[in-house]
Amino acid sequence: MSDIPMTKKRRIALGCEGSANKLGIGIISHDTLSGSPTVLSNVRDTFVSPPGTGFLPKDTARHHRSFFVRVAKQALRDAGISISEIDCICYTRGPGMGAPLTSVAIAARTLSLLWDKPLVGVNHCVGHIEMGRAITGASNPVVLYVSGGNTQVIAYAEQRYRIFGETLDIAVGNCLDRFARTLEISNDPAPGYNIEQLAKQSADNILLDLPYAVKGMDCSFSGILSRADELAAFMKQKAAKGEDTFTPADLCFSLQETVFAMLVEITERAMAHVGSNQVLIVGGVGCNERLQEMMGAMAAERGGSVYATDERFCIDNGIMIAHAGLLAYETGFRTPLEESTCTQRFRTDEVFVKWRD
Amino acid sequence: MAIDTGFPCSLTINVPFPDARLASVALRALRVDKELSPLVHRDLSTVAADNAKTDDDATVLRVEYKATTNRMLRVAVNSFMDSLSLVLEVMEEMDVDILECRKKEQIPS
Repeated sequence: MSDIPMTKKRRIALGCEGSANKLGIGIISHDTLSGSPTVLSNVRDTFVSPPGTGFLPKDTARHHRSFFVRVAKQALRDAGISISEIDCICYTRGPGMGAPLTSVAIAARTLSLLWDKPLVGVNHCVGHIEMGRAITGASNPVVLYVSGGNTQVIAYAEQRYRIFGETLDIAVGNCLDRFARTLEISNDPAPGYNIEQLAKQSADNILLDLPYAVKGMDCSFSGILSRADELAAFMKQKAAKGEDTFTPADLCFSLQETVFAMLVEITERAMAHVGSNQVLIVGGVGCNERLQEMMGAMAAERGGSVYATDERFCIDNGIMIAHAGLLAYETGFRTPLEESTCTQRFRTDEVFVKWRD
Repeated sequence: MAIDTGFPCSLTINVPFPDARLASVALRALRVDKELSPLVHRDLSTVAADNAKTDDDATVLRVEYKATTNRMLRVAVNSFMDSLSLVLEVMEEMDVDILECRKKEQIPS
């Protein structure tokens, strides 16, 4: 660590995130003595695809390439710092979609070379966890990481974020997003957000029969999605004949109640195993207020509480990459340029969490 | 360049840069990622411009592609051009001197 000057009052990192359809660039500072983090800027642009469609890798990568400079310059302006104050450039190494990840990595490498700053490759999941811990102050919670691409229950032990339970097939957010496509719900600002709003309109909170697929510590969503799609097709077919069945709002309500109950169950199982009563929810699906409510009810019964962040931090963003990257950088971690590739598969427990005891 | 019978479809692109530093930045940023397909080979290097006064100044980024079919070649080259375009934009808009200059312009006199 001899090359980190101790005379500086704060260390600063620029973080670049683009593993899915959100391009986020953020700048964070850590106080040199206390390590206390301050968000200097957090800028994001989301690639939204038309209703009934999802975002494809090629189009998403094109979006990230088009917006990178714009978003990066905004982040620098908002932070009001000069390049000389930046210690390192952090980027999402993975997991995520190949072409989008690589497009952001190329830009990060270019900045690193132009500005002569070291690179730090960051695990996207660890970024979410560290940002959640920093914002909420939760000391050692069980973490539920739920998004369009990931569904994991995580607990920290001996310098690794250990995966206690996870989806056996698709992520819960993927299940919700794809169902939004079936119903042709708008993807703006996000399909999951629109499902949440539509679910509130279910007149009598009609709970339709969907499979409940918890498998021990793990869970599965693809069967539930198939069944939900079948029910939607049935509903449309009947509606075409002028026959009433149930509404899209009822379907959204039922889907949420089912999948969220499953998440609460596997989270509770991990809490019992680990002896913790704190839950931290991170990832895009963590914005969902119904999920927070259900998790809160379970945690309260156990004498504990739920921590969640707002949409600035639970939806993919660059500041979490900057924060986790700077934590690693401060322990001496670097990603040499020749190794600054991206990978679609990057397990959360592959990261050596040197910055914690 | 002799034709490789296994990879008959080839293309060489010479990208001129204002100076050797920028050509080198582009080279190092772009060569990290391997080609996705085994049916395509790519070589990146920096060379001196044809009309260079000295041979030392490698201001041109040379990209040599060879592929098994024209379709593979087209896909690989198009993808490279997209990445190159991003590198160029970052250089044009966010190099050290440009950002410092723009910052000075914002300071009210």
